[in-house]
Order: sequence, then C-alpha cells, then structure tokens
Amino acid sequence: NHHRSTEPPLEKPGERRQAEMKRLYGDSAPKILAMEAAVQMSFDKYCDKKQPKYWPVIPLKF
Amino acid sequence: MSEWMKKSPLEWQDYVYKEVRVVASEKKEYKGWLVTTDPVSANIVLVTFLEDGSLSVTGVMGHSVQTVEVVSEGDHKVREKLMRLFTSVDCEGYSP
Amino acid sequence: KVPEVGGEGRIQDPPELQEQRARAALRERYLRSLLAMVGHPVSFTLHEGVHVTAQFGATDLDVANFYVSQLQTPIGVQAEALLRCSDIISYSFKL
Repeated sequence: NHHRSTEPPLEKPGERRQAEMKRLYGDSAPKILAMEAAVQMSFDKYCDKKQPKYWPVIPLKF
Repeated sequence: MSEWMKKSPLEWQDYVYKEVRVVASEKKEYKGWLVTTDPVSANIVLVTFLEDGSLSVTGVMGHSVQTVEVVSEGDHKVREKLMRLFTSVDCEGYSP
Repeated sequence: KVPEVGGEGRIQDPPELQEQRARAALRERYLRSLLAMVGHPVSFTLHEGVHVTAQFGATDLDVANFYVSQLQTPIGVQAEALLRCSDIISYSFKL
C-alpha cells in the first residue's frame, strides 16, 4: 500500500525505531512514540476502511 | 531543500511565541504567532486572534517555506494565551 | 561564556539534552495541533493556485499524506481523499 511506504523496516520490530526515538527525543521518547502511534493508527484505520484515492490523481508538483 | 528545513530544533525554538511573517512558495505570505515547528516536516503552525474571539490556525508546509522573519517579540499576555493552546485537546488514549 | 537559549531550555544542560528537549516540545505541540484539527473544516492552498476545502480526518506519521472527507474540488465533491503534502503550500482552520 502506497501510504505505508514510510513505515520503519519490519525486521527487528520496533527496536531500531525505539533507539532512534530515544536519540531524537531523550526522556520524552515514549510519550512521543505513543502519540505518533495513535496518529498513525487513526490514519491506517481510515485508509483500510475507506480506501481513499489521491486527489488530484497526478501530483501538482514533483 | 530550503534553509528553514535545515535548521536545528534549538533554532526553531527561538521563533516560538513570536509574531512572524512567512513567505512561502508561489509568493504566498502568512503572518501570525508561531506556536510550533514540526521537527519532522519543518511545518510551521501560526495562530492569529480573530475579532470574534476565535482563533485561526494556519499550517505552512516546511517544503514550501522560503523565509521566516520575526515581526514582533510578543509579550507575556500573548505568550500565556499561546501556551494554553492545544493543551486542552482531549488526549485520552494518547498517553503511554 | 554562557550561551543564550530562548524558551524552556535550561542553560546548564548539555547541548544534546537541550536539543532533545526542544525537539520533543516542538513535536508534541505539532501532534497536538493535528489532533485539534480532527473533524474541523480545513481549507487547503495547493500549488498552481488550487484551493480546496475538506473535513480533516487524519495524517500519517511523517505528515506525508492528509486523509480528508467531503473534499470540495473545483470539479465536485469527493467523499474521501488523500492529499499529498507535497501538493500543499498551507492549510488553515478555525478554533
């Protein structure tokens, strides 16, 4: 699925991402990670349920 | 990639709660109080206070930002109003 | 010499810590601004002078796509759609 292409790699689930988040956000990493997961989950839910199409079909700018 | 996208979080933080003028792609211009800059996308969130007491929130995409200029440093009153913003949003289920 | 730091950063902390704290505060506030937008009518300014309005639903982790409903386009209404962030110059809504 096109909108999933930006997800972290699937091998070693979560591990690499957690280390990266810790480096970026320090002690706030778990909080940011949780907020991001909720945001992404909501997006995935809509996409699975509604199968939205891109508008416009062709990007305006490359 | 624009200069704005290359800034560090500490540099972005310097603009928080200040009134700025943002020039974006296709000569679009935006003025408002800068509330945050997303460190992932460099998207800027500006707020303006409307006469009817409501707020207008504008997001300017980081990739289209050309220049950001500080218009006013702001004061405590504005700062306090801005600090309270987005904290009252229902975040149930978002805490770990 | 004491470095000047605006905002919440405490000057005695090492630079990495200050940067992490600034990044976390900025990111959290941005995510909250997205949550505040859910369900609101949002107007989008796209490239090439295109303007559309829609109800905001969700965005993905890297803010690369916006899922919206009731998208009013110049050629009609689309019940649900994905807008590419690369097409967007700005978006705005009222609170």
